[in-house]
Amino acid sequence: MLRPFTLHRPTSADEACALLAGLGDDAAVYAGGTELLLLMKLGLLRPRHLVDVKRIPGFGDIVDGPRLAIGAAVTHRTVEQSPLVRARCALVGAVARHVANVRVRNVGTVGGNLAFADPHSDLATLFLTLDATLELVSPRGRREMPLDEFVRGPWETARAADELLASVRLAPWPSRSYAAYVKFGVHERPTLAVAVVLALDGTAATGGDRIRDARIAVGCVGPRPVRMAAAEAALTGASIGDVEAAARAAGDAAAERVDPADDLYGSADYKRDMVAVFVRRALRIAAARARGVEPAERFPHAVVA
Amino acid sequence: MSARPLRVVGRPVPRVDALEKVTGRARYVTDLTMPGMVHAKVLRSPYAHARVTRVDVTRARAVPGVVAALAGADVTWCDPYYGPAYRDRPVLALDVARYEGEPVAAVAAVDEATAEAALELIDVDYEPLTAVMTLDEALAPGAPLVHAGQPPAGHFADLSTLRPKPGTNVCHQFHFARGNTANALAGADVVVEDAYRFPPVQHVALEAHAVLAAWDESGALTLWASTQNPYSVRVELAKMFDVPLARIRVVVPHLGGGFGSKTYAKLEPLAAILARTAGRPVRLAASIPEAFQTVRRCASRVAVRVGFRRDGSLVAVECDASYDVGAYADIGPRVVQKGTYTATGPYRVPHVTLDSRAVYTNTTPGGAFRGFGVPQLAWALESLFDVAAARLDRDPVDLRRQNFLAHGEEFAPGDTPIDGKLEESLGRAAEAIGWTQARAADRGRGVAAMLKASVAPSVSEAIVRLHADGSVTVLASAVEMGQGTRTVLAQIAAEVLCVPLDHVTVVQPDTAVTPYDQTTSSSRSTAMTGRAVQVAAEDVREQLLAAAAQSLGLAVRELELADGAVVAPSRRLTYAATLALKFGMSGGELIGRGVIVPGRTAAPLGGSTPFWEMAVGAAEVSIDDETGAVRVERYVSVADVGRAINPLTLEGQDEGGVVQGLGHTLLEEMLYADGHLLNGTLLVYRVPRADDTPAELECRFVENADGSGPFGSKGAGEGSLIPVSPAVANALARLTGVRLLELPLTPERVWRALRSRSPQGPDAR
Amino acid sequence: MKIRPVVNGRLRELEVEAHALLLDVLRDGLDLKGAKRSCDTQVCGACTVLVDGLAVSACTYLAVETDGRAVLTVEGLADGETLHPLQRAFVEAGAVQCGFCTSGMLLTARAMLAENARPSRGEVLHYLRGSLCRCTGYRKIVDAVLAAAENGPAAGNGQ
Repeated sequence: MLRPFTLHRPTSADEACALLAGLGDDAAVYAGGTELLLLMKLGLLRPRHLVDVKRIPGFGDIVDGPRLAIGAAVTHRTVEQSPLVRARCALVGAVARHVANVRVRNVGTVGGNLAFADPHSDLATLFLTLDATLELVSPRGRREMPLDEFVRGPWETARAADELLASVRLAPWPSRSYAAYVKFGVHERPTLAVAVVLALDGTAATGGDRIRDARIAVGCVGPRPVRMAAAEAALTGASIGDVEAAARAAGDAAAERVDPADDLYGSADYKRDMVAVFVRRALRIAAARARGVEPAERFPHAVVA
Repeated sequence: MSARPLRVVGRPVPRVDALEKVTGRARYVTDLTMPGMVHAKVLRSPYAHARVTRVDVTRARAVPGVVAALAGADVTWCDPYYGPAYRDRPVLALDVARYEGEPVAAVAAVDEATAEAALELIDVDYEPLTAVMTLDEALAPGAPLVHAGQPPAGHFADLSTLRPKPGTNVCHQFHFARGNTANALAGADVVVEDAYRFPPVQHVALEAHAVLAAWDESGALTLWASTQNPYSVRVELAKMFDVPLARIRVVVPHLGGGFGSKTYAKLEPLAAILARTAGRPVRLAASIPEAFQTVRRCASRVAVRVGFRRDGSLVAVECDASYDVGAYADIGPRVVQKGTYTATGPYRVPHVTLDSRAVYTNTTPGGAFRGFGVPQLAWALESLFDVAAARLDRDPVDLRRQNFLAHGEEFAPGDTPIDGKLEESLGRAAEAIGWTQARAADRGRGVAAMLKASVAPSVSEAIVRLHADGSVTVLASAVEMGQGTRTVLAQIAAEVLCVPLDHVTVVQPDTAVTPYDQTTSSSRSTAMTGRAVQVAAEDVREQLLAAAAQSLGLAVRELELADGAVVAPSRRLTYAATLALKFGMSGGELIGRGVIVPGRTAAPLGGSTPFWEMAVGAAEVSIDDETGAVRVERYVSVADVGRAINPLTLEGQDEGGVVQGLGHTLLEEMLYADGHLLNGTLLVYRVPRADDTPAELECRFVENADGSGPFGSKGAGEGSLIPVSPAVANALARLTGVRLLELPLTPERVWRALRSRSPQGPDAR
Repeated sequence: MKIRPVVNGRLRELEVEAHALLLDVLRDGLDLKGAKRSCDTQVCGACTVLVDGLAVSACTYLAVETDGRAVLTVEGLADGETLHPLQRAFVEAGAVQCGFCTSGMLLTARAMLAENARPSRGEVLHYLRGSLCRCTGYRKIVDAVLAAAENGPAAGNGQ
């Protein structure tokens, strides 16, 4: 059970921020509660005030634009089912479909997921490939921050105590981009997650089968998700029809870049090797999709989106 | 017994408690409330081993709403120790805490939140001591002792002599030998040996332990408990409180899973003591993490050496097994001796030397868990059997068949002869998995066989009552924990008395009402409790026939039962009419009694098993080479059950057994570091999920009506689990050339083994 | 705080604390004991109930969130004495053993069939991946859900 608290339900971001500013450490931001209430039950967090953000206008919306804005209180299920997400960036919906389990997806929110910075977060890994920025509001006004800066480490973000995460903005990939997401692990939370995007050269009219630009993010295996610059470089210029050597090089580069620890999710050397394996596999899947083929192969203990 | 075809027995009828379970009406202990009931919470040691120098509950006691707060020192009015083998376990730690999670203090309060808050106000001073966390540490010379020496419980016949090794952490030793093993091994053509490890794993019944205890004004105690053996709990409490057995009543509502975790007293003594102190009914419910701190399977290290002649006959088995029974012995000593007793498996072997021991460690107590010591041994022997087969250049199925004990053959002097046809199970499993057929290059197949004794001697009693309207009540203390025993007992009674199944009611176990049954475990309920019900129903039948004979002026031999009536050619008397005539009114009932007491015998463990549980498992696996992830694509279990009283519930049980076996084979392991359990929650302790079930899973049964249970039945439920780990490991070895000696076969373990595999293949020496 | 959920089709007016968990309000406040507390961490699904048709872990869900919303527990599945097709399928398939996971399984399946009346085995597994059972090995549960989908056009429809 939970220790008693006062539930505040502000109807504007200003009101919410004022509450957070006034209550300080005694308050926690509450949306779905799937992370927060669990930590409260375990006694790891003991806020005496919960500030519910679900009634703040806009927080539950997905808004189109040059960048796709997903409100902080949007549930994983809403993302999964959103036609707008499917149209602008289908992989985001596909990944949302595999967060935790169906009950967590129905209630848990994108904002909650990002704001808690659980090191095993799927979404944060994927969002790194979408130039994600976070909109933060506070009594001092509004600021926008790249996801990479926002997530500082395990359970640690750049959000000030009186600041609210209002939305995350994603820059959909250019046309002729092909992506894949794979997560691997035996436990409830994944051991590693890999998101890859391959953008091909040329246009829809002129074709072209070379990789102009690659994005590779690896998460869950280290303190925070990271883009793999050296691995990405290995892909540039490779032909989509013959990506194997580049994929191997990318995998090896990524394995070298990550810094995993020995823990319940695996030993460091195993995780490192698995990063190479799944970066390779994700790249093969993305390349196949670029060739118009949807690979059927699935791997035990792995989810492919 | 008439030779008429069976009407109810052998039919896949829906279970009798299905309706209440699918509508949410079934009641488990935590669904029960009583007027004045309070809630208990337990404060547990954070150390694996520590002196407890001070426990101060004063502040907790003063919290408004708290009705009782106890430390070990407060339990002065009764014997605080309990345990089915050794009475070594105090309800609350006294002077020393022996494992992380041991109860140190407890609070009862008007609601859970108050009780929880009060726990935080209890002050405890600990002086950490060196802990022994593994078998190796506990057995090392000069290792710190978990116990100084404990009094035996003296409750069970087969545990009447315990053999500890004084000055060590060994609390029981078992030795069995025949022939001359050393010579036989020296003269054998092929000798293989290795040591295998089985991890500590937890039952993870979805309902964790729970009990509601209430004393009445006359000093009698009633408990509603999630227990598999109410009579064990009763005798334990009677001894602790020095109260006559008749003044203690244990009632068992539905159980949300047991698997052995709910055998013998666990939280009942503490709940009873709190209830007495509070003067109010107390409900004490554990959480899943607390279940991890209450009981688990005994981990093991088993070293086996087997010797074969060139012609494939097994000549010798030498086995040395150490079982980690945790900080309190629980039923560990029996796990050790009974498990080791069948260390030689289902094979004929003239020369045997078995040595095993129960070892204390500073971890969660190890107790009963489906398989009861045999999974740990089968993991070793059945793996090694395949190693031997490779050395002999023999097909593993064929080698097993050659060495199987035959139907009617002696297992050990004085014990029941083998009562099944092992080769039939093996043949059917091999055929179902396609053993002799070509397999895909990316698949491997393996088999394993098992043999297990049921606890003996044991006692089961039952009462059957035929009411004035022809309906029937069955009183028996076999606990329904999902395995379907309540349905099976109803089917047996309905069959004997020729009434429709829905005319039979099986009441919940209640020591004030349902007679003595030793335990619901050991796969014994159909064969033993079922037999008691059968005998009791036959007793009623005899009374019915006699009464009808008298009324009709016929001889008993001219009568039989059919469709709720006593019939003769051209005469028919319903049961209701029969009783009305007998009693001279529409009232009264016939009461039948069944008492099954095989008694002590000259068998090595003191009693002859009522039946042998035997089964074969066959697995077909694939592997993701790059990650080490093993997938069981197909699995076949064949169990020799004599007669499946209910094929539907039996199949469900065995499917569950296979998947539970896949848990410890591929996924489950309790992990400790620096004296702490790292993964006592479902977030990081991985039990099988729906997508872990093999795509093709078949559970089949050999039914030759050759058992001593009702209608030729034997026992089932453990045979499906035991072969899983060696069958999968054997399949993996045949596919990859990798032989693992330690469970679970996690992706990382397999990956590591693949990378260090020798080029010659696994089983080459 | 005053809340007015519609529980199993019936409007209830309840006074609950902000920190009250839905599971406790259902079990202790409304005597609806079908939902069970097991892992208490949203992993096992034994506490599953439906809120506006969506499966939630009642053990980690504030009761106040149900104000003005429809809550369905296992006690609301049957129509009087007529079992829901899922309940009937579970009984017939032998998909019930100890019963502790059963209400969660039934409600999760009910939510799934309302979204997808003819799921594939893979889709059923996707949905049930978050519902644990230790007794059955899942085979008969999945079979029962598929049978109910097969047999009942009304299997998830509206009820």
